[in-house]
Amino acid sequence: MVGFLTTIFNWAQGILGLPATSLADALPWWDILWAFIYFVGAVILLIINVIMLIWIERRAAGFFQERVGPNRVGPLGLLQTVNDTIKLLGKEWIMPAAADKLIYLIAPLLIVTISVTMYGLLPYGPGITPVTLNVGILFFLAISSVNTLSVLMAGWGSNNKYSLLGGMRTVAQIISYEIPMALSIIGIVMITGSLDLGTIASSQAHVWNVFIQPVAFVIFVISALAELTKSPFDMTEAEQEFVAGYHTEYSGIRFTLFFMGEYANLFSMSALGVVLFFGGANGPFLPPWVWFIGKTYVFILFMLWIRWTFLRIRVDKMMKFNWKVLIPISLANLLLTGVGIKIWQAATGAIKW
Amino acid sequence: MYGLGLLKGLGVSLKRFWMPKITQKYPEVQPDLPQRSKGSFKYDKDTCTSCELCSMACPNGVIKVEWHKDESGKKRLDRYRMNLGHCLFCGLCVEACPTTPKSIDFKTDFALGCWRKEDIYRIWTKSYPAAEAVAPVMAPAATGSPAAAGSAGGASGSTGVASGAPEGGN
Amino acid sequence: MSDFITEADGLETQEFILNLGPQHPSTHGVYRARLIMDGETVISAENKVGYLHRGIEKLAEGITYAQFTPYTTRFDYVAGALQPWAWCLALEKLGNIVVPERAEYLRVIVGELQRIASHLVMLGSIVLDFSAITPWTYVFNAREDISDLLEAVSGSRLLVNYFVNGGVNADLPEGWIPKVEKALDSMLKRLDDFDRMVSGNEIFVGRTKGIAVVSAEEAIEYGITGASLRASGLTFDLRKDSPYSIYDRLDFEVQSMPAGDSFDRYYVRLLEIRESAKMVRQALKQLPAGDIRAKVAKVWRPAPGEAYAAIEAARGIMGYQVVSDGTVKPYRVHMRSPSFCNIGIIPAKAPGLTLQDFIAFIASLDFVLGDIDR
Ligand code: SF4
Ligand code: SF4
Repeated sequence: MVGFLTTIFNWAQGILGLPATSLADALPWWDILWAFIYFVGAVILLIINVIMLIWIERRAAGFFQERVGPNRVGPLGLLQTVNDTIKLLGKEWIMPAAADKLIYLIAPLLIVTISVTMYGLLPYGPGITPVTLNVGILFFLAISSVNTLSVLMAGWGSNNKYSLLGGMRTVAQIISYEIPMALSIIGIVMITGSLDLGTIASSQAHVWNVFIQPVAFVIFVISALAELTKSPFDMTEAEQEFVAGYHTEYSGIRFTLFFMGEYANLFSMSALGVVLFFGGANGPFLPPWVWFIGKTYVFILFMLWIRWTFLRIRVDKMMKFNWKVLIPISLANLLLTGVGIKIWQAATGAIKW
Repeated sequence: MYGLGLLKGLGVSLKRFWMPKITQKYPEVQPDLPQRSKGSFKYDKDTCTSCELCSMACPNGVIKVEWHKDESGKKRLDRYRMNLGHCLFCGLCVEACPTTPKSIDFKTDFALGCWRKEDIYRIWTKSYPAAEAVAPVMAPAATGSPAAAGSAGGASGSTGVASGAPEGGN
Repeated sequence: MSDFITEADGLETQEFILNLGPQHPSTHGVYRARLIMDGETVISAENKVGYLHRGIEKLAEGITYAQFTPYTTRFDYVAGALQPWAWCLALEKLGNIVVPERAEYLRVIVGELQRIASHLVMLGSIVLDFSAITPWTYVFNAREDISDLLEAVSGSRLLVNYFVNGGVNADLPEGWIPKVEKALDSMLKRLDDFDRMVSGNEIFVGRTKGIAVVSAEEAIEYGITGASLRASGLTFDLRKDSPYSIYDRLDFEVQSMPAGDSFDRYYVRLLEIRESAKMVRQALKQLPAGDIRAKVAKVWRPAPGEAYAAIEAARGIMGYQVVSDGTVKPYRVHMRSPSFCNIGIIPAKAPGLTLQDFIAFIASLDFVLGDIDR
């Protein structure tokens, strides 16, 4: 626990540009107090991030659709989400009488907890990684698939046919698309030789992975969209079929939590894409964390562009596409990568025949 | 090639992203409506002859014209009431009105939203100077309260209640 | 429930009943389908209508002929201007009224504009059922161009009361014709963008091609009319096959598509929009001067008798049967509404579709609940 707090502390120090160990040498309780303050700061950062994301999504959607999006509350409509959140918090909590109470209540909490955990793993720059794990990417994928559980819990717990169908679809979808996603990431891991997100990011100082692994990148984008259940893979909350999918029966703060979790996941998944394919926090002139956030937002805009253009695919076709197209291609890509690495090593004399 | 249509679609949405937007900032910028736009009604109580053709033409009984006869037997208007909640905005009343310019006509002001359902009524009352008021019983009618108008009309025995518009209003 | 349990491969599954509607985002009104589902597959479907029944046929017996005209726009509220046309044609037959030539042209122009607007709504709502909100905004903006035109000429955007017994109720406003040209151009540009974005989109094609194929024979058997019929390879169109008004003077093609699946039902409407735009331009060119309304008595009492008239409305054949007993009010009015006849095919075609395809299928039939329930 103390180790975790210390890393948070170091991360915050990195962001603030303070010299390392300037305060850590002071009293130990002082250390813990500061860590706590920084932790609260990080959560606030997450909330601001979500608010920004929702604003960006709505503005961008408006621009694609010949309208301007929210523009009334605050400058450029920036406070619209704050307004909506306050409205949502004031709504009545309605719980279906026949709901499975415990599962119904835990599901929205779980989804936010997972999102916060994923935030902690991202390398925002050298020295400002909250938690450095040498199996970072493995842990990231493992944690993100727990999302499935919370969606299934919500779908089952609500005791509603639409919710259940939505939840079932999500499980099928996320679990299957995790495979091509993992396979596309393995190519990168093979090239880098590390599972640590920070190492992967810093290894791309010269050339981004997107140029080395373009096929993996396409597969990653497709499966990331599926993981995030964004269009064209938004079966889980297909309002035309399932009203609102797994969160049909949620209202008020619980609905807000689902909403927050969804956008927080959008950010962390895009950040993962940036780390894997766009060199993470590397970049000239500006501080690394600015590069990191900037790249992530560009990546998010790219995903939104796809999202607001495409139509929803049919659920069985989506499965067929995954198992019959994406997975074979990613396996072939993996094979080629392996062969390529060996050829490269032979050419540069790293291995002797 | 499979996927070409998808790329084309991406191109279209990217193009539209940069094109001018059509959003109107409504309360600040009022829409520029054509002359004929059927927003709500304007009514001229001075040219109206209380002929009730409008209320007879109306398919929904929206219009109620209340009038009395003065001693020379001429119709004098008391109250003209429209229940816009039942109106179809078909224009049959305007078409039927015989005066020129039309006593009842459309105007482009379209903001009809209201909080209380009484406010959906449009009521025009006409009052006469005391010297012109013929019978003393007419005086309360001019104040415009429905009960008073009803009793005044009853007393003079000449109030025309032409349509089946529901009672209400203030 | 025990009769719903089936055994498949030793695995016990249970069918369940899903009430799709009347409050459901994609049933296009208060339509309700009672589906028996096996997982995501529809086993059987049953139409349940009547949630929007307003008793308008009865209502017609209590008001005069002229007063009923604005009510007719309320059936198919998506194509409001076209509905009174059939009603007025029936009345004109009943009273032997000859409509002035200019009025006929104005009717065709406004009617075709309304058909464009209505088909645009259909295109928008079918892609909306695939959660494509962006192309939906394109066609609705395109429809906005048309609505502006209709508002300038009649005063209303949606429920256009323009046709009256004996003609139309107002001449064109000043400067309207150049506006039409401009609006049609801008509408077609948006439609082209929409077409590029959706019609070639592999996801859309994959989800609509070969889904719920209605053969020509079936379409005739079930009494389907309008664009949904023409999507099955037939070219039956009242505008061509029994021309009313001045359609015989216009040069146009009846659009049809061969396969009869959801995609063709969608695409034939797209083609019809382009064709209608051409027709509007032609009619504007031929537009003669003259009266816009035949003399019809203020208190109109047609001779006792019956008349039936039908037009090709936006969703199919819209017909009115009017019985007069010589008074100012109709004795009986009955209407054949296209949406009601078109949805008869749903129970026949639904089994075997997934829920997603079922939604796309009912969207491609393009029905309006006001037209079904009246
Ligand atoms: S517009 Fe039509 S419904 Fe409204 S008051 Fe006039 S006649 Fe009656
Ligand atoms: S028809 Fe015209 S003149 Fe006659 S009562 Fe109505 S508004 Fe007045």
